[in-house]
Amino acid sequence: GAGAGVGAGAGAERCPAAWLPALQLLRRGSKAVTRHWKAMHFQRQKLLALTEYLPPRPAVPPRCLPRHTPEGHQEDGYVRVLRRQVEETLRSSRMVAVCQYNSMADEDVVTLRHFLRKHNIHVKFFLNEVVRPVLAQSKYRNLLPLFVCRNILLVSPETRAREMLRVLKGVPQVNLLGACIDDTILSRQGVENFARLPPLEASQGQTVAALSLLSSQTSSLLQQGPAHLTALLDEHIRQLREAGESTEPPPGQSTAND
Amino acid sequence: PAGPGGVAVPRAGLKKLALPPDYSGITFPEKPKLKFMDKVPAVPKVRREPRRLRDIRGPSQVATDFTQGQYGILALGGGYLHWGHFEMIRLTIGRSIDPKSMFAVWRVPAPYKSVTRKSLGHRMGGGKGPIDHYVTAVKSGRLVVEVGGRCEFEEVRPFLARVAQKLPFPAVPVSRESLWEMRREEEERRLNNQNPWTFERVVASNMLGMRKYLSPYDLRLKGRYWGKFFLKHRV
Repeated sequence: GAGAGVGAGAGAERCPAAWLPALQLLRRGSKAVTRHWKAMHFQRQKLLALTEYLPPRPAVPPRCLPRHTPEGHQEDGYVRVLRRQVEETLRSSRMVAVCQYNSMADEDVVTLRHFLRKHNIHVKFFLNEVVRPVLAQSKYRNLLPLFVCRNILLVSPETRAREMLRVLKGVPQVNLLGACIDDTILSRQGVENFARLPPLEASQGQTVAALSLLSSQTSSLLQQGPAHLTALLDEHIRQLREAGESTEPPPGQSTAND
Repeated sequence: PAGPGGVAVPRAGLKKLALPPDYSGITFPEKPKLKFMDKVPAVPKVRREPRRLRDIRGPSQVATDFTQGQYGILALGGGYLHWGHFEMIRLTIGRSIDPKSMFAVWRVPAPYKSVTRKSLGHRMGGGKGPIDHYVTAVKSGRLVVEVGGRCEFEEVRPFLARVAQKLPFPAVPVSRESLWEMRREEEERRLNNQNPWTFERVVASNMLGMRKYLSPYDLRLKGRYWGKFFLKHRV
């Protein structure tokens, strides 16, 4: 049958301000806890619909605001070590050549390294993301556009461009992009021209010769007059001697008064 | 990523070496596998007890947090677990964990509540039926089993999800972090709810005489529970 629960007495202690129903609905058959989803009273459904969660709506939606890239990017110690290695390499080498590197077989890489090592050129592989910040802060800023794709660095403490070009000509997978030799940035043509230059000693000798050309000419210039006179007199004496031998002048006539 | 000229430039960045996870603070129990649970308690009940479905209703006050393990199964609804469920859990988890490096622990007691059934095909009346089997009551928000050891959540989650699906109530595999995250999100929702009318407020001050249609338990349950069901979407 229908049960009427009187809840007024028990509830009044809890919320004295509100009134409590004298009769509570307990007419329907099933108990409070059922295996199936018990149908709710319509008023309860209305109450649940009214008291649903409303998410906050800011005036500017967050997707319109600038997105912050995650800060606090901890720099790896490994990255720092690599950067230090790059700086060390750049500092200790006179010639730095940047080449595009396409995939080669391992033994080809080893062979290339071997041939370049014979000319004291070291092959270095560095990651772009490590090299770019180092270059941006050093004086090699203008080499930055070269470090885009897969590349290798050929570094050497001496500038032997001719041997390097000869070796690289035999390796089609490695193409020279540019180089920085003695703090001078050179393009591919520049490197080829540089390679065609004579070696340092010969050019030094040429410079010394060109500089001392004038001073070597001075002594000959000064002696030009007397040398010319001496040559003329020698010629004259030779002519007289020839004339004297041919006509056999008398000894009396040779002492002619003039 | 496309480079200049539309040519794809392959990018392989620096490898970020992550440290292996640290399992130093984990203590293994003596028996890593789940204990066998009896069908009938050691002292079977003589007196047949009333149904008392209120042990299913509402949130759980016991076993809501982790004790030994890192991962577990959280019940998101109320229900009864009988011996078949226990065996399923024990065998599935026993098959899936490696007892040398992982362990599992029960967070529910063995079946203690007697359930009576009348024999089939009889009319109503004739007294209460005899005891048929025993069950364990589980309320929402309770952990059923806990798994721990030298393992990650991603390794444990597949088989815990399979076990959770077979339980008679909705359940999810959780880890310590994910449970904390769940609670935090719930709290956040409760705080930044823009609706000025909340169930709690309406019931507590009996606005519009709503308590005529609601139960006195709704004061405590606050509209999040309906029978044995847990309404997750409600704030």
